[in-house]
Amino acid sequence: MADYSLIIIGGGLSGLAAGIRFARFGGSVLILEKHAIPGGLNSYYYRKGFLLETGLHAMTNFAGPGEKRAPLNRLFRQLKLSRQEFVTREQYSSLIYFQGNNTLSFSNDFALLREEIACRFPGERDGFEKLLAIVDAYDPFTPKKWVSTRTVLGRYLHDPLLTDMLLLPLMVYGNSEEHDMDFSQFVIMFRSIYQEGFFRPGATMKDFLSLLVDKFISFGGEIRYNSKVESVALRDGKACGVVLAGGETISCDAVVSTIGAPGTFELLALPRQEEKYAGRMSFVESIYILPRQARETVRIDNTIIFYCLADRFDYGRPREAVDPSWGVICFPEHFVGIPPADYFQIRITHAANYDLWKKASALDYKAMKEEWGAKSRRITSKIIGNYQQNIVYEDSFTPVTIEKYTAKAQGAVYGSPVKVKDGITPCGNLFIAGTDQGFLGIVGAMLSGVSIVNQHILKAIDH
Amino acid sequence: MTRGEIKDVILEIIADIDEDADMADLKADEPLRDQLDLDSMDFLDIVMELRKRYKLQIPEADYPELATLTSCVNYLEPKLKGL
Ligand SMILES: Cc1cc2nc3c(=O)[nH]c(=O)nc-3n(C[C@H](O)[C@H](O)[C@H](O)COP(=O)(O)OP(=O)(O)OC[C@H]3O[C@@H](n4cnc5c(N)ncnc54)[C@H](O)[C@@H]3O)c2cc1C
Repeated sequence: MADYSLIIIGGGLSGLAAGIRFARFGGSVLILEKHAIPGGLNSYYYRKGFLLETGLHAMTNFAGPGEKRAPLNRLFRQLKLSRQEFVTREQYSSLIYFQGNNTLSFSNDFALLREEIACRFPGERDGFEKLLAIVDAYDPFTPKKWVSTRTVLGRYLHDPLLTDMLLLPLMVYGNSEEHDMDFSQFVIMFRSIYQEGFFRPGATMKDFLSLLVDKFISFGGEIRYNSKVESVALRDGKACGVVLAGGETISCDAVVSTIGAPGTFELLALPRQEEKYAGRMSFVESIYILPRQARETVRIDNTIIFYCLADRFDYGRPREAVDPSWGVICFPEHFVGIPPADYFQIRITHAANYDLWKKASALDYKAMKEEWGAKSRRITSKIIGNYQQNIVYEDSFTPVTIEKYTAKAQGAVYGSPVKVKDGITPCGNLFIAGTDQGFLGIVGAMLSGVSIVNQHILKAIDH
Repeated sequence: MTRGEIKDVILEIIADIDEDADMADLKADEPLRDQLDLDSMDFLDIVMELRKRYKLQIPEADYPELATLTSCVNYLEPKLKGL
């Protein structure tokens, strides 16, 4: 008999959700995580006594506890977590801010965005309503041929400015492709951001991860940290175990890999196929910490601001190391019901060029961080006011940091533009879940883990 | 197991799956899915829970047999005889 029925590679959100799902019904399961703590892209660390969250701006897919069909609540039921006991803090509102003082506000009440569009783009009102009807009727989960979102939007909206404005939040929070977006992914993101909305857990990401890990362990699951999987052991073309760095082999009946397509292929001794599966969208992110008194000098009325100061919004890998002409400014504590603390954060995200960061020498890398950080602060100060002089601590990460900590090829946060939607690989009992399966973001990654285990493991394995 | 016991097991499993389930008004001959507003992912949980508790293998083709409370009991009665 194998050591475990299921081994899950990666203790990020998709791996933890997959683990809970399988352990819940008594299956023996081991999660192997190469780092010392769980969370992957969405983890945490301590600097100077501050608990910093690596990934969290906001969770998407807000839904109140009573809305049973809502993805968030389905997820909680699947993981046997109590939605009633889970405290959520909703966003105030968010702002899409484009050159020429063009703005659109949205909140967790979809009516606001509708009104904003009717008021600022009166000529587009009917088109937008028609687009909504299409979105509402669309099933984005059954695999379909790729459909250009820009083409579909172009049919209903005439002003390219409105198209760009609507696309910015949806792309930056969940598009692995450059320039355009598959319409199914557009529909998923439209619902999860505009129609459902932003929130954060009442407690920290660290607490949220503990909730997941504790649930997993309470069902009898096991998790090992500092355990990097180096290869998958094969017998007759099927996975029969994994080999850890250091040589230990652990046997199993099936494997779920959450480390992305290129990394998974490598474990199977197949070509990484980076040309096909490495995403090109990566980001730099800066986290600034300011004392409470500085709140007065910063315009914090929105939870998140999505801005673009270029003529057109171009979602793509920039030619230079960073493209500060558009980005995201997030106030991660500015959610309804979170009392002001002694310090607050500002997080700023821009698209970045992996190659340029990767090939920089250690010295250049540091200088580039400073140079681009300064440019970013100058531009974003125009939008939220001058916050620079009040920064007491700052930290930043680049595509190289993301690659190093999560093994996402080329630091592509949203993974491959080519998704393995059914999770199936050339190895019959090894499945891909998480980012490269297709669902993105925190809620998406967890849903991916759940659905891959449901589809391929629970329905198939007898124990 | 008697029909009554099987019914109680199903109700208990549903209550366990869905903390908001309103069991009081449940009609035995109407689809559970519509009454409880559950989806196919929740349905899989009923199957998995039966497997965990009674080592019952329910093939996917048989899932429709679990549509209502009464059809669940009918389907499970012979399988849970002697338990
Ligand atoms: C800066 C940033 C901000 C973000 N902000 C948000 C946000 O505000 N809201 C939101 O919803 N989403 C956000 N995201 C996206 C979200 O974090 C991810 O979509 C999600 O966490 C992906 O989960 P995953 O399980 O698919 O992948 P990962 O988190 O990458 O998990 C993979 C895990 O596998 C481990 N691993 C890799 N190789 C091996 C190996 N060989 N052996 C063992 N373990 C291995 C890694 O260490 C990692 O823990 C953000 C991401 C970033 C980077």
